[in-house]
Amino acid sequence: MRASFVLSEIGIGLRRNLTMTVAVVVTVAISLALFGAGLLIREQVGTMKDYWYDKVEVSVYLCGSGSTSSNCNGTAITPEQRTQLENDLRTTPLVQRVFYESKQDAYARFKQQFKDSPDLVQNVTPDALPESFRVKLKDPTQFEVVASAFRDRPGVDEVQDQKALLQNFFKLLNTLQLFALIVAGVQIFAAVLLISNTIRVAAFSRRRETGIMRLVGASNLYIQLPFLLEGVLAGLVGAGFASGALVALKAVLIDRLLKPNFPITAYVGWNAVLSIVPLLFLTGMLLSGLASFFTLRRHLRV
Amino acid sequence: MIRLENVTKTYPASVRPALDDVTVDIEKGEFVFLVGSSGSGKSTFLRLLLKEEVPSGGRVHVAGKDLARLSHWKVPALRRTIGCVFQDFRLLPNKTVFQNVAFALEVIGKGSATIDKVVPEVLDLVGLDGKAGRMPDELSGGEQQRVAVARAFVNRPMILIADEPTGNLDPNTSVGIMKLLDRINRTGTTVVMATHDAAIVDSMRRRVVELSQGKVVRDQARGVYGYGA
Ligand SMILES: Nc1ncnc2c1ncn2[C@@H]1O[C@H](COP(=O)(O)OP(=O)(O)OP(=O)(O)O)[C@@H](O)[C@H]1O
Ligand SMILES: [Mg+2]
Repeated sequence: MRASFVLSEIGIGLRRNLTMTVAVVVTVAISLALFGAGLLIREQVGTMKDYWYDKVEVSVYLCGSGSTSSNCNGTAITPEQRTQLENDLRTTPLVQRVFYESKQDAYARFKQQFKDSPDLVQNVTPDALPESFRVKLKDPTQFEVVASAFRDRPGVDEVQDQKALLQNFFKLLNTLQLFALIVAGVQIFAAVLLISNTIRVAAFSRRRETGIMRLVGASNLYIQLPFLLEGVLAGLVGAGFASGALVALKAVLIDRLLKPNFPITAYVGWNAVLSIVPLLFLTGMLLSGLASFFTLRRHLRV
Repeated sequence: MIRLENVTKTYPASVRPALDDVTVDIEKGEFVFLVGSSGSGKSTFLRLLLKEEVPSGGRVHVAGKDLARLSHWKVPALRRTIGCVFQDFRLLPNKTVFQNVAFALEVIGKGSATIDKVVPEVLDLVGLDGKAGRMPDELSGGEQQRVAVARAFVNRPMILIADEPTGNLDPNTSVGIMKLLDRINRTGTTVVMATHDAAIVDSMRRRVVELSQGKVVRDQARGVYGYGA
């Protein structure tokens, strides 16, 4: 096998078919960029889950004199009930940590949280806010077990899982990811068709050469390799562009725009990007390689 | 060297077989003319030897191999033992004479040292020394056919197949090509040539196999083109 021969054949082929090659590169780039974005969103969801689940707590709100729930019946929790509840929470094996937030604590936190809207703060008194136990679970997914154990205890107004608030947001991200992956899938399908068509045109435009190659006894590999490598090369260049797009997504959208403006959460790091990039190259190579291979099997036979 | 046993070939789209129960035996070093009217099956005969087509019935042996048992990936090796020349030369228009001949060696993986040694030799043999750098369109038809013969012979095949190699050439030029094929035949290469050129067949007095509607109707040592002798 002479590398220089194969390389010059690839060069000739790519130049002869420049417009088609550009179309293949663009399609592959777009499909892989979407694929990469989908994967990055998934990483982001994972990162956020790790970040938030580490912080989220279960809030056990206690009955105050104004509580209307059936469990409270308008009567505030008694100090004995509260002590009993705290002890029980602490001895529950699933619970990692418990601390008590008084009405005053809640008011302080409220003031801090809404310091930009003094009107709101003025209309609220510490008495209007519920006291609660903040419970940190060893495993945040075990909420229901704890909730069902404490929901109906006397003096408990409501057991609230902060995780539930995040769930909607994660759902949104998951939908976004699914959408990106579906569009990527359609694009990949288009890319496969386009590659297959490009190879077919290339094989046709070089039928004179390949005809002679077959006659003088060139092996299948020798005849097909330049076409195959052409396809793979186009796929890899496409993957290169897709990786560039992904890096730009991380550097501009995440690091420049989201991070400074929404510092409330953690974002995917560069290692996530670095783990996706090889996958894009691999997908680009397999995609174009297989599409080329099967097209060649049908159109360039010995 | 070549043996066809009761070979029948019917193309998928047609009813009448292109070759019908053909049995021919060709020894090593023979020179055989395949004659017959248009559509009698000459080209089909030659394509079977290259395993470009497979017979519908019967057996084809080439260079000691039963082609029916030759696996797909060994077909290139078979074709390396057979050189081919055609009526339409089949040169690559964007390559020089040297590159056209070298191409046949490059694509079977020969190194540049071999190529630089062998190609000038064979160009010399076919009488094209000094024209190695020309492009095909700067050559006459006869010269182009010499390039094609050089390419077919550069790998020193055991068998040379020629399908109407003089079909596009004037009588004088044709004689030149025939002398060349004769020389190649004298090196021990088996030559099988399909032709419509009566003058050539009559002057060479070699073995003639005549096909008519796919059947062998004549097989004559030192024969002539038409019936007689
Ligand atoms: N690829 C093919 N598909 C179907 N039929 C074919 C094919 N090739 C040849 N034939 C038919 O087979 C018969 C023999 O054709 P072939 O080319 O062998 O004739 P030939 O003797 O070489 O003719 P010519 O002297 O015109 O070159 C013809 O009837 C032709 O129409
Ligand atoms: Mg013919």
